[in-house]
Amino acid sequence: MATFSAKPAEVTKKWVLIDATGLVVGRLATLVAMRLRGKHLPTYTPHVDCGDNVIIINASKVVLTGRKRDQKVYYNHTGFIGGIKERTAKSILEGRFPERVVEKAIERMIPRGPLGRVQLGNLRVYAGAEHPHEAQQPETIDIGALNRKNKRAA
Amino acid sequence: MARVKRGVTAHAKHKKVYKITKGFSGRRKNTIRAAKAAADKAGQYAFRDRKRKKRTFRALWIQRLNAAVRPFGMTYSVFINGLSKSGITVDRKVLSDLAIHEPAAFQAIAEKAKAALAA
Repeated sequence: MATFSAKPAEVTKKWVLIDATGLVVGRLATLVAMRLRGKHLPTYTPHVDCGDNVIIINASKVVLTGRKRDQKVYYNHTGFIGGIKERTAKSILEGRFPERVVEKAIERMIPRGPLGRVQLGNLRVYAGAEHPHEAQQPETIDIGALNRKNKRAA
Repeated sequence: MARVKRGVTAHAKHKKVYKITKGFSGRRKNTIRAAKAAADKAGQYAFRDRKRKKRTFRALWIQRLNAAVRPFGMTYSVFINGLSKSGITVDRKVLSDLAIHEPAAFQAIAEKAKAALAA
């Protein structure tokens, strides 16, 4: 008996919708990363993109616990000498692209590599309540109900 | 005595190496010096990985089982504990195959394991 190995052509990918309002960032990100990679499936195959497509709405309304909203720092480098810049989570959440907090958290939980980049492409994060994927008929998942620690009042 | 030219035997020897290194990248596939080293190393890796294969597959079955038992409210380790208590001795390879191809049978096993834990 040969161990089952999913073939890219035969994989059927589900669509999943998550409302991030009031969810804790890291707890949301672990569950999303797991689904993107397909590790929630008994047919999980490490070298094949077999996970779900995940849509996250209201990504600007996520919660960071403790004092991380003010203290967590995101760094980027401009490429120039001394060009390291830093921003706090608060300034990103209140800035032009608040969905980047969630995106970054998930990106950092997915193995870096060609497959990781493809799997990250199956993630769609929107700051607001609208998303353009109604045609895919995504299934809604209530992450807040899975564990009482997943949700916090902001 | 007949004269023996070196090229013929050399070519025959090289052919054996090139047969192994076919499909390798760069000079490793068609330059005898690089190809010899590459073929040696490939053999070492193959020897090592025939043993590792057993471990990586067991790890994959465990990952799949962990995913398969979570809908029944168990983790992998709890599930295995329940299995051993209920006296079911199906190995991980067959269990993970059941979870994929015979979900009903797998559910029956999972519920037995759960019942053994409660008892």
